[in-house]
Amino acid sequence: MKKSKTKGIIQFILLFLSVFTFFVMGSSNNSASAADNSLQKVKQRGELIMATSPDYPPYEFQSSGANGQNEIVGMDIEVAKKIAKDLHVKLVIKSMNFDSVLVAVETGKADMAIGGINPTPARRQSVDFSKIYYTGGQSFLINASDVNKIKSQKNLAGQNVGVQTGTLQYNLAKQYIPNVTIKGMDKTTDLVLALKTHKVDAVGMEKPSAEAYVKNDPSVKMIPSTYKLTQNETGVAIAFKKGATSLTNAANKSITEIQKKNLTQQYLASAGKYMKVNTVNTSMWHYWDYFAKGVEYTLLISLISSLVGVLLGMFLALMRFSKLKWVRAISISYTEFVRGTPLMVQVMFVYFGIGVVVNLPALLSGIIAVSLNSGAYVSEIIRGGINSVEKGQTEAAASLGLSETDLMRFVVLPQAFKNIWPALGNEFIALIKESSIVSIIGVTDLIYQLNIVRADTYRGVMPIFVAMLLYFFMTFILTRILNHYEGKMKHADSE
Amino acid sequence: MQTQNKNDDIIQIKGLGKNFGDKVILKDINGEVKSGQVICIIGPSGAGKSTFLRCLNMLEKPTSGSVIFDGTDLTKLSDKQLVEVREKMGMVFQSFNLFPNMTVRKNLKLAPIRVKHMSDEEADKVATHLLDRVGLSDFADVYPDSLSGGQKQRVAIARALAMNPEVMLFDEPTSALDPEMVGEVLGVMQELANEGMTMVVVTHEMGFAKQVANQVWFMADSAILEKDTPDEIFSNPKNPRTKDFIGKIIEAK
Ligand SMILES: Nc1ncnc2c1ncn2[C@@H]1O[C@H](COP(=O)(O)OP(=O)(O)OP(=O)(O)O)[C@@H](O)[C@H]1O
Ligand SMILES: [Mg+2]
Repeated sequence: MKKSKTKGIIQFILLFLSVFTFFVMGSSNNSASAADNSLQKVKQRGELIMATSPDYPPYEFQSSGANGQNEIVGMDIEVAKKIAKDLHVKLVIKSMNFDSVLVAVETGKADMAIGGINPTPARRQSVDFSKIYYTGGQSFLINASDVNKIKSQKNLAGQNVGVQTGTLQYNLAKQYIPNVTIKGMDKTTDLVLALKTHKVDAVGMEKPSAEAYVKNDPSVKMIPSTYKLTQNETGVAIAFKKGATSLTNAANKSITEIQKKNLTQQYLASAGKYMKVNTVNTSMWHYWDYFAKGVEYTLLISLISSLVGVLLGMFLALMRFSKLKWVRAISISYTEFVRGTPLMVQVMFVYFGIGVVVNLPALLSGIIAVSLNSGAYVSEIIRGGINSVEKGQTEAAASLGLSETDLMRFVVLPQAFKNIWPALGNEFIALIKESSIVSIIGVTDLIYQLNIVRADTYRGVMPIFVAMLLYFFMTFILTRILNHYEGKMKHADSE
Repeated sequence: MQTQNKNDDIIQIKGLGKNFGDKVILKDINGEVKSGQVICIIGPSGAGKSTFLRCLNMLEKPTSGSVIFDGTDLTKLSDKQLVEVREKMGMVFQSFNLFPNMTVRKNLKLAPIRVKHMSDEEADKVATHLLDRVGLSDFADVYPDSLSGGQKQRVAIARALAMNPEVMLFDEPTSALDPEMVGEVLGVMQELANEGMTMVVVTHEMGFAKQVANQVWFMADSAILEKDTPDEIFSNPKNPRTKDFIGKIIEAK
């Protein structure tokens, strides 16, 4: 009996997966074969959407500006603005992890990706590139105290070198530095922090970025790299979706003009000015509005997701008690599947995967993914709560002639609720913390804002500490509130 | 609905069988309960006594045979129709099964209000009357957790009576009680019997069976092996299994 039941469920999950895969694969094939109307689409929309990861000064970074306005600035932004202006459209900036910017272009979330991207042959297989608009070159950041020890790239043999994951620097270091131990991290700010705390001996990065750090932080120094590089590896270019030739050509026209007038020098100079502003006041108070926005989004996502999660969870739990086998099977498959995959993957799947079919904004994608995830856990909590009510209670109620609904409503659910409530409280608290994963698709929650502040102030630890306190306050207050109601319920019971 | 009812049998059990998977729990059980009769069911543990009782109000669906109550074959009814039958058969459990989330009064009022659609005042009157009858008027507004076992079981009886049932089913109502509380519960049951309530009682209280029962049914190995008056069963059992069982009980006392 048992065996065939599990087998049935496995079959169901497999079916579910194959239908789904078919659906997603099918739709991405469709979009690839579409004719090139990329330029026309941008012009019709009146907006040019770019994806970037604004933690890479001076290419792109978040600035609190002279007049207190938060904006993304940098050389790349100026280049993008120039292209948008030449097309007579508005520039819209979508920020996300560097890992995600090329995916955003491939899946149509953005028209182009800019972010100090080197047009390597590997990348050319998945996206199209514009002409190279700037040639920087590779270098390493080291601790100032090590200048006598690490004089050139040769001295890095056998050392620990930090590089941003998914970058050219990562591949170069791995390939050309003998016996090196690579430490890959998402954020340049984390890498610099790792350097300063001696977890790595050097950080590989683009020359202009390294120069920016050296200018703003006397404890780090720069050494040049001795990689033998082609144009494709030193230059940076703009990524477009494969086949978006008309848009790429339009961008190339702007780039030609930028090169002719040597505008990048001008752009770099003004980016440097923003960076000066940033280093003047790096106290955390100065950034309170960043943190406030982060808290606001974290609370917003957690609140909506827990409400939707509870509704979905109740629904799934009721399905679990259905008399129909296939209804139960759907609920079980869903719950098992969601609990068996990481939230991070689910968030990326909703944003990029579903994004192929319907274009969902990042915040909505984040909320949907977290809600869907929470629903599965809540349904297990509710199911457990209902099962914890003694069978005798149901039988006594049934023997009195109570209908199925009344039996649930007056006898089982009130008793189940007492067991459900504390577990549900834990789920809400977990949600506040776990929702932080949405930062990878660029939702401006607390973690995301934290990284912005770190990139902006060149201070590695302090913003982490502030975020930690803020998370703690949120969960602490929520715990108090939940305990208050739990206490109330107990009281009502023993009256 | 009364067409099949040729005599005054309130319950007729015909060829009743019950399996759990391939395990046979009850086989070919037959019997009649007449209106106003008290039937006591005795037998060793695992004989199927509880299962039999639960088949009478369809808490357990029989695998074969039929249970005819007031002329209606319960095994043919839908779940919806069963709900209506169940209110006419009160049931009292070994473990009381009072609703811990409601006061004693609310325990009594829930079914009359939700099932019989009584007004709140009416249900309140019924509850007050019944609590008085089981001697627990003072405990109407406490939660069940604060009652003793004997008090809980008396509340459970009152709760079943609040639906004004035609038959009361008891499954070892005193087995979970401390010895000094057994008397108060049996007292209430005896009164009920005296008032003419039809009762089917699974019990090991021989004194009660001797005094109150019209018939004692002995169950062992999934079947009823002997049915007789209490005097005959206890002093002159015919089936060797019955003999053995009665002997052991008397020894234990
Ligand atoms: N839901 C069930 N699934 C499978 N087997 C069951 C189930 N309920 C009862 N049984 C089995 O049926 C048999 C009879 O159980 P039942 O409770 O009716 O016996 P009983 O005569 O009331 O015993 P006791 O005196 O211990 O209460 C036992 O062997 C028990 O294990
Ligand atoms: Mg039993």
